[in-house]
Amino acid sequence: MNTLTVKDLCKTYIINKRQNNVLKNINMEIREGEMVAVMGPSGSGKSTLLYTVSGMDHLTAGRVDFFGKDINALNPAQMSSLRLNEMGFIFQQMYMLKNLSIYDNIILPAYQSKNGRGKEHRKQINDRAKELMHKLGISEIAEHDINEVSGGQLQRACICRSLINQPKMIFADEPTGALNQLNSKEVMKELNRINAEGTTIMLVTHDMKVAAKSDRVLYIEDGSIKGEYVFGKYKGQEENREREKKLSVWLMEMGF
Amino acid sequence: MFLRILQKDLKRKRTTNIILLLFIILASMFLASSVDNLIAVNGAIDHFLAMSKVPDSIAIALTDGQNDEIAEFLHEQRWLSEYEVVRGFNLINEDVTIAECQADPAQTAYQRTNTLFIQTIPTNFMKVYTEDGEELTLKPGEIAFPKLEADNNNLQVGDKVSIRVGDKEQEFRIAAIVKDAVFGSSMMGFKRLFITEEDLSVYDGQENLVYTGIYNVNYADEEKFESEWKKQDFRVISAIDGPETIRMCYIMDMLVAAILIVVSICLILLAFLVLRFTIVFTLQEDYKEIGIMKAIGLKDAGIKGLYLIKYLALSVVGALIGLVCSVPFGKAILERAIVNIVVEETQQNFAVNIACAAVIVGLVLLFCYASADKLKKISALEAIRSGSDGERYRAKSRLRLWKQTKMRPYFYLALNDILSSVRRFGVLIVTFCLGMMLILLPLSAANTLKSDGIISEFSISPSDAYLDTGRGETYTVDMDSLFRDMEDIERTLSEHGIEAVTGADMGYMIPCYSDDPEDCVTYYTLQALGSWDRHYSVLSGREPQLANEVMITEMTAKKMGVGIGDTIYFKMGDRTQEMMITGTYQSMINMGQGYRVSRSTKLDADYAGGIMNIQVEIEGMESEEACARLREIFPDYRIEDAKGALDSMIGGIIEQIDTLMYFIVAIVLIINSLITVLLMKTMMTKERGDIALLKSIGFTNRSLKGWQTVRVMMILAVSVVLGTLLSNLLAPYIIGPIFAIMGATSIQLVTGTVEVYALYPLLLFAVTGVTAALCSGGVKKVDLKEVNDIE
Repeated sequence: MNTLTVKDLCKTYIINKRQNNVLKNINMEIREGEMVAVMGPSGSGKSTLLYTVSGMDHLTAGRVDFFGKDINALNPAQMSSLRLNEMGFIFQQMYMLKNLSIYDNIILPAYQSKNGRGKEHRKQINDRAKELMHKLGISEIAEHDINEVSGGQLQRACICRSLINQPKMIFADEPTGALNQLNSKEVMKELNRINAEGTTIMLVTHDMKVAAKSDRVLYIEDGSIKGEYVFGKYKGQEENREREKKLSVWLMEMGF
Repeated sequence: MFLRILQKDLKRKRTTNIILLLFIILASMFLASSVDNLIAVNGAIDHFLAMSKVPDSIAIALTDGQNDEIAEFLHEQRWLSEYEVVRGFNLINEDVTIAECQADPAQTAYQRTNTLFIQTIPTNFMKVYTEDGEELTLKPGEIAFPKLEADNNNLQVGDKVSIRVGDKEQEFRIAAIVKDAVFGSSMMGFKRLFITEEDLSVYDGQENLVYTGIYNVNYADEEKFESEWKKQDFRVISAIDGPETIRMCYIMDMLVAAILIVVSICLILLAFLVLRFTIVFTLQEDYKEIGIMKAIGLKDAGIKGLYLIKYLALSVVGALIGLVCSVPFGKAILERAIVNIVVEETQQNFAVNIACAAVIVGLVLLFCYASADKLKKISALEAIRSGSDGERYRAKSRLRLWKQTKMRPYFYLALNDILSSVRRFGVLIVTFCLGMMLILLPLSAANTLKSDGIISEFSISPSDAYLDTGRGETYTVDMDSLFRDMEDIERTLSEHGIEAVTGADMGYMIPCYSDDPEDCVTYYTLQALGSWDRHYSVLSGREPQLANEVMITEMTAKKMGVGIGDTIYFKMGDRTQEMMITGTYQSMINMGQGYRVSRSTKLDADYAGGIMNIQVEIEGMESEEACARLREIFPDYRIEDAKGALDSMIGGIIEQIDTLMYFIVAIVLIINSLITVLLMKTMMTKERGDIALLKSIGFTNRSLKGWQTVRVMMILAVSVVLGTLLSNLLAPYIIGPIFAIMGATSIQLVTGTVEVYALYPLLLFAVTGVTAALCSGGVKKVDLKEVNDIE
């Protein structure tokens, strides 16, 4: 079953009475458990595509189905519920609330969900949060302030937060964009692990090394999908060099 | 460049700047008009007392219309520079009939406000003036009324009244409403009507006349005259110590201006708090710009100048608008204050308004300069990092979400925000707290004055009904008529199946001394009369029970240097009566001075000064029902409950305080709403990124609105509790002294449980809550993509 189905998606901004067609007739599908990377030059419409298909931005025309549900037909409360319970978001900047500790930031969406009420439910949430943090190797920073941890740790905390409600799909906008190479590797390792566990991921990236770890790469230019490169499931770092090489050649062909 | 940045700032923070501007406008308008008014009223009182020629001392005494021992004494005195004796007579309600009333054509019955006296136009002392400030002139058949007396009976110029004494009746046309410097104020329990000499003489010799003499005296040597006067045994019903005492009576006229000054000071404080809040937020918001400015080499002073220019512009515009508004506003307030006073046109001084507006500009800039000092602490790097120097290791969060088993996230976020930024929200707590205190402190005064028990502080025991037959002065010359009236009332009520007891407190003006017989003081001595055996409140000791026992007010005890167990002496003609002090009490009549004797004390009826009312206590009937029944049975008498009786005695003070209360509550509600709008707008501007983030992780608009609204309500809740605690704590020190001036040295202030703990907090919560809820709608406008704006 398709997690995401996009049909004839258009997104237009009108700035100073001038129409700017950022996305033009996009058609795409993302299957359940797939990890898809979107690449393209700056200003090509990658992030706009991610925000539009995830319901964070309105589309101008077309249709986006999330598990068969037209997200454009949902009212704001239903859309909030979808984001809360079925989607997870990771941003390039490690956005977290400054007044809350790392741990509280992670559990906040879960406490907000319908299952976040009651002592027993909250205990389960805390157990899940601890397990997630342990898996992502950030248990020791749970009670820290967000200014006290490294970028890599903070991005992993953001991943924990995006996973806390066990979403069906994660949307990641340049998740390693603000990280150094070492932290970037760690974060991608976690995303691959999550994907291996069955969570669908759509990510936008500039980084070939990141994209090479995806099942499929979409190349977008000037608001249209120009090509698609299918890798198949990522099996481990021993494939890295080979996948990166293939991707590099393909991207050069695409004019990247 | 500065101008461009300023223009951008004014545009971007439009709401914040508008609210700040409003505060500056209000502060300068209130300060300018109230200071100007206070000066104007103060100057006007001096001017009016001088133009009316108020004597150094005034005595009022009942005479028989022929022999006048006081006049003879004054004639012999060489310690006087001049004196005058004004003769006239008292009127009771039945003496006056309204013949023609434009406002209410059906009205015929006349209701005097207090003791009513009729005389000729004063020409030497205590002159009266028309509403236009002209000297009063009358033709035969014309009469002049003081403002309060006319208002009480809906009378105006052109209306007609008829005055009948004995067999003589004359009809008069009201030719003028006058301002009477000495007796015109609401605090004076004596009002004068004026007719021509020719008309007054018509009533001479009538049997029922209660002749009264007013003796106006200017000293040549005050000390020597006082010494001579104290040796005498004159039966005066009232003695006024010249301009200073009269000035005290205008305290209510100045009260409105004084309260406005207090309100404007609070507004200035609030404007400063708002200013500080705004500046700190602006600085935090502008970290990046400040950092860039610093990085490209702009000095602190230059950047500070930028902010100062902005606030200079705001404060100058605000002060100018406030200055312009202060003129009509001040005039409207002054018109209310000068009901009884003739004010010169020149007495409203625009220079004062300008000075006040300038003070506001100066204070705002000074405060802004001090607040912007924070700039110095911001380094270029720190500023670029949005206030973070990367060296902070202290956790900011004060409350842990994971420890909350029941709390909803939006509620947690609100509470944690406040606990994590106590200083920032502390300013708002102080602001709301001030507003609460601004309501509760005058409320405490109003409630105390309205409380059932306060009547006993006026030397009257609480009863179901207070009845004024309008013959108060007749009783002083014929005390038996008082007993007859009380018996009549009881009998009539009994015939209607109502069992009642009656009582009255007769006031005597008896000279009294403690050591030196030649050093007498004369204050009201009260004695309970009638069938109702009642008790009076005592501060220490006990009530007098025997004929030679007396209870004395604490202020009189202090003045005479005596205490419980001491002996004082009443001088009644040739007789001196030894009285032992058994207790002390307090009284808010006669500025706290007086005595109370037992029922068995024999006092000379010649010294009787009058009663305030006849009190009626009905078995098994509530006050409201008792008054209603009495009004049915005695339609000609004025019947009031405790509040009404008190209002008659203190001249509508309660009503004025109530009006002021409404005004203050309205101001506080407006201020709270403005501050709420300001807070929410500022916070939402700062938190756009956070709101977008919360939206992105699935928070609904409803939850986000809840977070923003609950935060304001929490701040308000803390402020309400703090304000209530502080008001209860400070009221005895702020309100207590006001009562002490009036004679109640140890007053028990009445809180008003429903108003303090329910009505006003609920009103504040409702208005602030609605404002907050409306403002929180702004979260809808935050686009999810703004999550990228988080710094």
